[in-house]
Amino acid sequence: MALENLRGRVAFIFEEVNFDVDQIVGVKNIKITDIDELAAAAMQSYDPDFRTAVRPGDILVGADNFGYGHPHYPPMRAMRHIGIAGVLAESFSPGYWRGEISMGFPQATCPGILGMVERWDEIEIDWAANEVRNLTRGGSLPIDPLSNADRAMLDAGGLIGYLQGKRQPAA
Amino acid sequence: MGYTITEKILARVSGLDHVKAGDEVMAKPDFITAYDFPGYTDVYFKQMKEDFGIERVAEPERIAMFIDHMVPAATPKEEELHIGTRKWCAENNVPLFERKGIGHQVASEVGYAVPGAFVVHFDGHISQLGTFGTLAMGIRRNLLEALVNEKISIKVPHTVRVNLTGTLSKGVLARDVFHHLVREMGPASCRFQVLELGGPGLSQLTTEGLQTITGLAMFTGAVTAIVNPDEPRLAYALPRARKKLDPVYSDPDADYAKVYEIDLTALEPLIVIPPTPANSRNLTEFLGLELTNGYLGSCASGRLEDLEIAARILEGKQVAPGFQLNIVPTSNEIMVAAGRAGYLATLTEAGAFVSAPSCDYCFGRMGAMSANQRAVSTGTLNVRGRMGSPDSEIYLCSAATVAASALEGKIADPRKYL
Repeated sequence: MALENLRGRVAFIFEEVNFDVDQIVGVKNIKITDIDELAAAAMQSYDPDFRTAVRPGDILVGADNFGYGHPHYPPMRAMRHIGIAGVLAESFSPGYWRGEISMGFPQATCPGILGMVERWDEIEIDWAANEVRNLTRGGSLPIDPLSNADRAMLDAGGLIGYLQGKRQPAA
Repeated sequence: MGYTITEKILARVSGLDHVKAGDEVMAKPDFITAYDFPGYTDVYFKQMKEDFGIERVAEPERIAMFIDHMVPAATPKEEELHIGTRKWCAENNVPLFERKGIGHQVASEVGYAVPGAFVVHFDGHISQLGTFGTLAMGIRRNLLEALVNEKISIKVPHTVRVNLTGTLSKGVLARDVFHHLVREMGPASCRFQVLELGGPGLSQLTTEGLQTITGLAMFTGAVTAIVNPDEPRLAYALPRARKKLDPVYSDPDADYAKVYEIDLTALEPLIVIPPTPANSRNLTEFLGLELTNGYLGSCASGRLEDLEIAARILEGKQVAPGFQLNIVPTSNEIMVAAGRAGYLATLTEAGAFVSAPSCDYCFGRMGAMSANQRAVSTGTLNVRGRMGSPDSEIYLCSAATVAASALEGKIADPRKYL
């Protein structure tokens, strides 16, 4: 299994810098573990029709330092369940980045992305060329290359697959 | 060409002569630390056994477990989590520190803050071991990698150097210094980098103050913070150290991604308004705002100097009627010292509710707020719902500001009480 290029529409643009992803489901819902309940709570304060509008493979776009604060896993669990395939942002907060990469959820850092896309544009993230292309309006921007370890983790579908693929003597 | 303390530590644990920022290496942590928490340690224990076939860890002395959240247990389910942790530690011969205080502080007290060591945890506040020249990182779920493999993959981070100069004014604490760094440098200023503190202004800060600042490093975007260990830090850490290592220091010609000069002289008390730790403001802009709650504690604050200054402000006075002030010393060692010094008696007589050490007040498991309540807090975070209802509000500030505000029942300036 290898990381495939992502092709989908921009399902939402979070323009707020230092965006706290917990807001996606709302703090009062952060402890919900049932995935359908979580997905139903997602984006209610941003766009109540979000869930029905999204098609599998759609992509989220964020601003600078996306994931700042004290990120929990349920918001992006809900997003994946809804069909979101990955996140592009101007930049990411490291804790959030590490957490979601370990879940096998593709993320790409793309300075300038907010200026290149509008909601519902079709875009493609090309991991070999390290660029994102706007298929609706044309234009492309480079993305920061993934580290080898991050790439390997996404190729393996997440931390568990990654670790099982490279077992060493136990600690 | 020189190296940073971070590069030197990561070179040693990677078995390399030297590494530079940007290199991807496989590093063997000296210590793997964790507190038990549902969805983390219970899952690790299960995954280690079921997904990786690990019945017993090979080097138990490299692992340290802490029970500091959900202490004391409020439900049978919480106690079951702790039972599982105790059992796993006993079976694996892994040291367990329970009811000793908040683990990030206890880790230093019991010798895991070894100058020159590399330590990992899933929780980023472990960065406070950096006070002692220890490179300590929170790596979230990737902690599993350290538990199932000898080495973990890591990209050597760049370093942002912060040179402190000047002198601190009365009533301005380490906590204010940290929030000043966020304000001056920005909440993304150190993203994916190490925040290295230095400069003559370091002498203005105690070991406890440095623990406060380094422990909050994540809110500058940093993966951790570190201090080149000087005499007072070595005097604390070396006699307790669980591993013999030579301390290492950044070379004078080390490469830094950026260097900031931060003058402490003009610094005034700050307050961080909800709902994000990025929101540092001057305390004076918010004086008089009505409050219902106050919390003095956490792995960031709640140490002896915090309790001392709170006791000085509250001595012989009373907390405002109806105001709930919870005070939680960070560790048993600190609580005992504060008891001997008389601070706990002073605080209790002033109307504070003094609890034994626990993480639970910081994340709303204890002392939870209801909708429309508003707190001043020395906890780590002020995001919505952190201390109870998503419709309550948290203003982060120093222990002195919490104490002064408790007297008035509204946000108050501690300087007039000192």
